[in-house]
Amino acid sequence: MTSRIKHFPGTSLSEKDFAEGKVLFVHDQLKAEFAWDTGIGIGAYLASLKRGVILGAYCGHCRKTVVPPRTVCEWCFRPMSEYAPLKDTGTVNTFSLCYVTWDVQRIKEPEIPAVIMLDGASTLGPASVVMGGIMHKLGEVDPKEAKIGMRVQAVWKPEAEREGAITDILYFKPLIEKEA
Amino acid sequence: MTLLERDLQAPQAWRGNLPVTSRYTFGLAGERFFRALKDKGRIMGTHCPHCDRTYVPAAAFCERCLSELTSWVDVGLEGELLTFTLLFADSDGQPMEHPELVGLVAFGDGGLIHKLDVDLDVLEIGMTLKAVLKPKAQRTGSILDILHFAP
Repeated sequence: MTSRIKHFPGTSLSEKDFAEGKVLFVHDQLKAEFAWDTGIGIGAYLASLKRGVILGAYCGHCRKTVVPPRTVCEWCFRPMSEYAPLKDTGTVNTFSLCYVTWDVQRIKEPEIPAVIMLDGASTLGPASVVMGGIMHKLGEVDPKEAKIGMRVQAVWKPEAEREGAITDILYFKPLIEKEA
Repeated sequence: MTLLERDLQAPQAWRGNLPVTSRYTFGLAGERFFRALKDKGRIMGTHCPHCDRTYVPAAAFCERCLSELTSWVDVGLEGELLTFTLLFADSDGQPMEHPELVGLVAFGDGGLIHKLDVDLDVLEIGMTLKAVLKPKAQRTGSILDILHFAP
């Protein structure tokens, strides 16, 4: 409903009407399987995650490192020079407290999706385009304590359980750095 | 030409499955059409007095003059075969062991598309076919409450 429209025409139905058989209906489930070609860059990225390494790619001309790896530099369009294994530590660039899951279920403890700028990747592209960050979740952190700029480190699945997916990293946890 | 080499242990493809489900309700006229089929074993249509057309399956509005249809008619269980085809592949495109016969059976000015149980020797366009219904206790209010059409 909107501020101007209090009631839409039609027959509204509740979950109860379906359960009690007040209305006839057909339930269907589409077979929506897909296979997405990983290509060279993302394929190497996923294979590296299985080995416990976050992989980027380095352009020698622009001297920039991007993650995940691309085969072509987005700035000079030259082929990327080489793969660049990165550290699994980084800095929170932005985050959100999310009280709704991906399939729209309410949750009490928020998930904290965040963009994490990985150590070893470039931080700023031309015109302040943020790069060198990956999207992941924060964990082992009080939602009230989450801060932009906080240092974090990846928490990996045990090696035997890794399957070559971004979820091989369970989450990023706060990193307590020792003073050198 | 790329300088980065393919990782030989990399997966060729990322595989997934989208969990898409749907729940379809038949609408005001459809609800009444399937209720009649389920509870009374009848095929119902709606008649437009202005256009003198009978819609089967029943429609809530006349698609010619857009007036609301309130005149419900029982069109019986027997209709004329308008067209048919023999299917050799199922809805997933897989070959079927036994080909399936489907056809359009006319009721009023409309008709129902359904499976046919007719010998190919006697099958012809224009023949009269009758709906064979499931036993009442097994009907769920779906078009499959009609098992098939037979002579």
